[in-house]
Order: sequence, then structure tokens, then C-alpha cells
Amino acid sequence: MASLVFLSSGLFLGWTLGANDASNVFGSAVGSRMLRFSTAALLCSLFVVIGAVTAGAGAAGGLGELGTINALAGAFTTALGAAITMTWMTRAGLPASTTQAVVGAIVGWNWFSGSITDLSQLARIVATWVLSPLLAALFAAGLHRLAVAAIRRSRPHLLRLDANIRLGLILAGVFGSYSLGANNIGNVMGVFVNASPFGELHVAGLVSLSGEQQLFLLGGIAIAVGVYTYSRRVMMTVGGSLMTLSPLAALVVVVANALVLFVFSSPQLSALAVSLGLPPIPLIPVSSSQAVIGAVLGIGLLQGSRGVRQIRWGVLGRIASGWLTTPVIAALVSFVLLFVVQNVFGQQVYRPVAYQLSPPALVRLAEVRIPTEALAMDRQPVVGALRFRSLLRRQARLEPAQEQRLLQIAEIRPLSIHPQGLEALEAGSLPPAYRQAVAELAGRSFLHPWQLADALAARSPLWSLPQGAPAAARKRLDARLAVVLDTFSVSPPSPRAPAGPAALRAA
Amino acid sequence: MSTPALFGKSRVLEAQIDEFLDKVAEGGIYFQRGIELLLEQGVVGETERKLEQLIALKERANELRRAVVNTLYSEMLIPDFRGDVLRLLSHLYGLLDATKNGFQELLIGYHEAIAGAAAVVEVKSLVAVVAQSLQEAVLGARAFFRRPEAVRDHINLIRVYEAEADAIALRLKKALFASERPLDRKLLARDALAVIDGLADRAEEISDELSILAIKRVL
Repeated sequence: MASLVFLSSGLFLGWTLGANDASNVFGSAVGSRMLRFSTAALLCSLFVVIGAVTAGAGAAGGLGELGTINALAGAFTTALGAAITMTWMTRAGLPASTTQAVVGAIVGWNWFSGSITDLSQLARIVATWVLSPLLAALFAAGLHRLAVAAIRRSRPHLLRLDANIRLGLILAGVFGSYSLGANNIGNVMGVFVNASPFGELHVAGLVSLSGEQQLFLLGGIAIAVGVYTYSRRVMMTVGGSLMTLSPLAALVVVVANALVLFVFSSPQLSALAVSLGLPPIPLIPVSSSQAVIGAVLGIGLLQGSRGVRQIRWGVLGRIASGWLTTPVIAALVSFVLLFVVQNVFGQQVYRPVAYQLSPPALVRLAEVRIPTEALAMDRQPVVGALRFRSLLRRQARLEPAQEQRLLQIAEIRPLSIHPQGLEALEAGSLPPAYRQAVAELAGRSFLHPWQLADALAARSPLWSLPQGAPAAARKRLDARLAVVLDTFSVSPPSPRAPAGPAALRAA
Repeated sequence: MSTPALFGKSRVLEAQIDEFLDKVAEGGIYFQRGIELLLEQGVVGETERKLEQLIALKERANELRRAVVNTLYSEMLIPDFRGDVLRLLSHLYGLLDATKNGFQELLIGYHEAIAGAAAVVEVKSLVAVVAQSLQEAVLGARAFFRRPEAVRDHINLIRVYEAEADAIALRLKKALFASERPLDRKLLARDALAVIDGLADRAEEISDELSILAIKRVL
């Protein structure tokens, strides 16, 4: 029950997303009265949930790499910070994007918890904010050209064209809803993934849902509720303003938006790009509102100087300013809320992570060819990634990738495989074959999580994956390892850790 | 009878619009043939049959127009062009109605002015040019539905035919008033020419409407 209370802020964020962003996929169809709202709401809700559950992991992982929020109350506060920022900015009439608010809120959590913000990942995310409207503009311009050429060639009757566009709007809306669910569920539930209260769920031996998928299902339902309860008005407004475009242009805008969302959420497409020798596509939630605006711009620019004159450049300037203001405001709101929730309500908003260059860690570092000559052994654990990195940098300058690997190896989490924990595992969702390997380690203790992972892999091939295993399998195994780690942690994190801003100051 | 869903509805409507345009085009042919009969044979059974055919055409066209407009609005089809289609069909129906009314008036009130006219060939060429402008208006409307970029060609032809009709009518009127006919016959014949020439003017009004619709429709 407490878990559901903590999830409520994510559900609220999902509701706002459903209320606002459904208009980007079905707004033009409903606003122009080509489709009834009830039909649009049903299709949108259904395919948002399908997209979220079946393909939500890709883009949600993108936010996970930005910051690993490891306490449920922290995830709650972060999502609440993003939702408050969104609500406030929308009320103030400022352009706001859920994606940017969530990214800002996560950076706020990293700041508060003394965690490291992966700057390369942040740069990739910021790049997608610019890239997604540009890509939408390109898609829209290309698609519009193709559609016009096809229509001129086939010369359909006005009524046949209308029927085809109507069908196209339904199909594009369905595709758009699926892509919205797959891409934007990361905004809604991404922050809860690492603090998920759910284990694996098997329904009648037919359907198996991981903890992450259950989270996404809940988020998808929240989006669907937003669609049903509040999106009608937004659809009528957005659709009405979009209808200054021709119905064909409206269809092209919806398809371009859906394609952009799909591009940034499909692991298969990213893998295809890599196999073609291209850089991988970053799987990150992007703003569907900005993709729609990009697509409209693309069609406008296609019309040459006449189209350029029609574009309201002031609006574009406001949107671009939103790229900067939204994350900054969300980071500040998130920081303040985390402070309040931790210090006023006594909730643990992050689990302090400690690091230590122990003898086994130094050996391991040498094994993975990270230069250890300049590194001195730590007698005491150092709490907080930022502080540890600062101390590390005084000793040696490493490549960013090596530094990141070193942090993973140096992370400590004292573990002891005790009988009570094994009993608790019995009642959990971990499959018996996996539990067996854990039971064989009874009585042993570990300092670093990777030591446990190595020991388990040595006991059972189930706990090890070959090189090049699919990302989904790796994530599943990581989730199972996280269950074992949580169960056998020797010193459970204190509810009010002294780290946070204090640790920052110390660093 | 309820129409089938989505594509079925569109096909039924397409057929209804095509049939409506066929009726307007047929009206132009009957009008031309009727005037020719009137000039050659006067008011005979065959001439009156043309009027009956025009009346039947008008009734069917009215039914079709109502059915199309009802379906467009009740099924929420072509939301951005509904009003335009309604206006275009109303104008075309008005043209067919004017064709029937004009022929009816010529048959009842002006047949003596027309029958045995000195310049029969000239009057026939006036009617032929007017009928051409009607046909071009129908072709322009068809193009609006299928090939909006071709509407411009038809608009141009309508304007040419209308100008030609005005020129022929002017020549005929000058010749008429230069003749030795009694004044009352001259006035009657002048009005008869105005009725025929007026149809080309209506066709030109439709061309003006079509020129705006075509701009909206071009992708």
C-alpha cells in the first residue's frame, strides 16, 4: 500500500501526460471531427498501454542511465517535482515538456544525493531535444512531398481521399499512441524502475510480467485515465489550431510525430543503425509536443517563402527557451522537495552508496586493465559518488570510461547470505533454479556487489550471460541480482543519511 | 437504406455526385436540342418532350443534391469541404433549374419570337456556345472532385464561351433592331435572346466559385 502511495506522483505525472500528449496523436482527427472522441480515447488508451508494457523498457533505460534513483521515496519526490514543475509552467503559460521536467528533476536528485550526473548521457538527452523536432520536420517534409505526389498520380475523388485520410488518421493515431506509450512511459515511470516495489508476476502460467512491466502497466493505465478524463478539451483546442493545416498535412504531422517517438524508443532500430555502421540511436523519451511543432514547421518550410512568413517565430523562440528553463526549474523544485521530504517527513529519499578501494577491488581493477599504480587503498568507505570521485581524481586522472568502471568496481554493499534472507527469497518472485545458486552460498559474506555476481555465476550458468547477450536479458538478470542484493544487505540504509547536501559540501 | 461503413459510404456518395453532374450535363444537351427543334419545327410534340425530360432531370437532380448534402453532414464527411460542396451543388442545381425555366419560357411565351427568326443559324450558334459553357461548368465541377489542378482549364473555357455568347447575342440584337419587324416582336425576341445568353452568365458565376474552390483544393 505504501508503495502505491509513493507511486502516486508517477501516476499523477502519467495523468498529465495522457491529458496533454494524447492530443498530439489524435488531436487533429478529433478536433476536425473526423473521428469521435470516444473512439479516439479507446484506441489511444489501449495502444498507449500496449506500447508501454511491451516496448517501454528501451527509452526508460535512457533516463535510468542519467541517474539511478535507488529509494522509492526519492523516486516519488523526483516525479512529484517534475509534475509540479509541469503544472506550474503550464498554468503560467510557459512552454513545458514532461521529458525536460523529468530530466531536470533527476539531475536535482543527483545533486541532492551526491550522485554523479553522467554528462555524456545528459548531452545525448539534450541533443535529442534539438534533434527530435528537426527529425520531425524532415519526416514531415518528406512524407508530405511523397503523399502529394502519390495523390497527384492516383487522382482520387475528394470523397475517396477524405476516407483514406480518415483511415490514415486512425492508423497513424494507433501507431502514435503505441510509440507514445513506448517512448514516454520512461518519463512517467522511469524514475521508479530502480526502486520498483514489484517482483515478477505470472498470470495463470500464460502471461509473465516483470516488475518493470508491471510499473509500466500502471503508468500506462494512468496515461489512459488522463486521456479519458481530460484530453478531450485539449484535443479540441490543439486539433482546432492544427486544422489551419489541410487534413493531409494534419495526417503527415501525426505520422511524423509517431515516427520520431518510435525512432527514439526502438532498440531494434538502434541495433540496425549500429549494424549499418552508424552511431546507435539514443533511446530516450522525447517530447511529442515538440515533435509535432517540428513537423508543422517542416511542412511550412516546404512551402517556401509563403510558408516561412506563416511561421510564428516568436512561438519557436519560446519553445527553445523552454529547453533551458524547464530542466533548471525542475532541478530546483526537485532539490527543495527532496530536502523537505527527507528532513520534514523523515523519509529516505536515496540510499547512500559507499565506495572503497579494497584489496579485492584493486585486484579486480588490475584484471580489467585499469592502471592501479597511482591508487592508494582506502581504509574507510567513502560515502557519495561525487566525494569518492573527487578523492580519486586527486590520486589519478583516468579516462571517463575507466573512471565509470572503477566506480562500479569500488562500490561497496556488505552482504551476508543468511538463513532468514533465504527464507524471504522463498516467498519472493525469484525462480527456484536461481534461488538454488544463492542457497549454495549460505554463510558467505561479500563486500562488493560484483563479488556476489561472480560467485553466483560460478555456481550456476543461469547467473551468467555470454558476451553479446540481448540487453533485455541483461536487464532481467540485473533485476534478479538486485533482489538478492536487497535481501542480503548487512546494513540496511539509514532512513536519514547524513549525505546529500552535507556530503556535497564535504566534497 | 443505411449506407455501409467508411469506404462504402464514400462510394455511394461518389456515385450520387457523379449522377447529379450527369443530370446537369444532360440538361444542357436537352436545352440545345429543344431550341433547335423550336427553331426548325416550332412547338411540336417532340419539342414539348424535351421540356418534360428537363423537368424529370431537375427533379432527380434535386433528390440527389438533398441526399448528398444529408449524407455529408450526418456522416461528418469532408469536414473542411462540406460547405463548399454544398454551395457548388446548389449553384449547379440553380443552373439546371434556370435551363429548364428558360426553355419553358421560350416554349410558352417567346416561341413566336424565336420561331422563324431571320438569323436561325446565328441563334443556333448562340445556343451551341451557351450549351458548351454549361458542359464546361459540369466538367470543371468534376475536376474539382478528382483533378483540382485541371479546374483552371475549364474555368478559362467557360469565360471564353460566355464572352462569345455575349458577342453573338449583341450581333443578333443589333440585327434584330435594324430589321423591319414590329417593335413588340423586337422586344420579345430581345428578351428571348437574353434568356438564352443569361445561362452562360450563370455558368460564369459557377466558374468564379470554382476558381476559389480549386485554390483551396490544390495540395
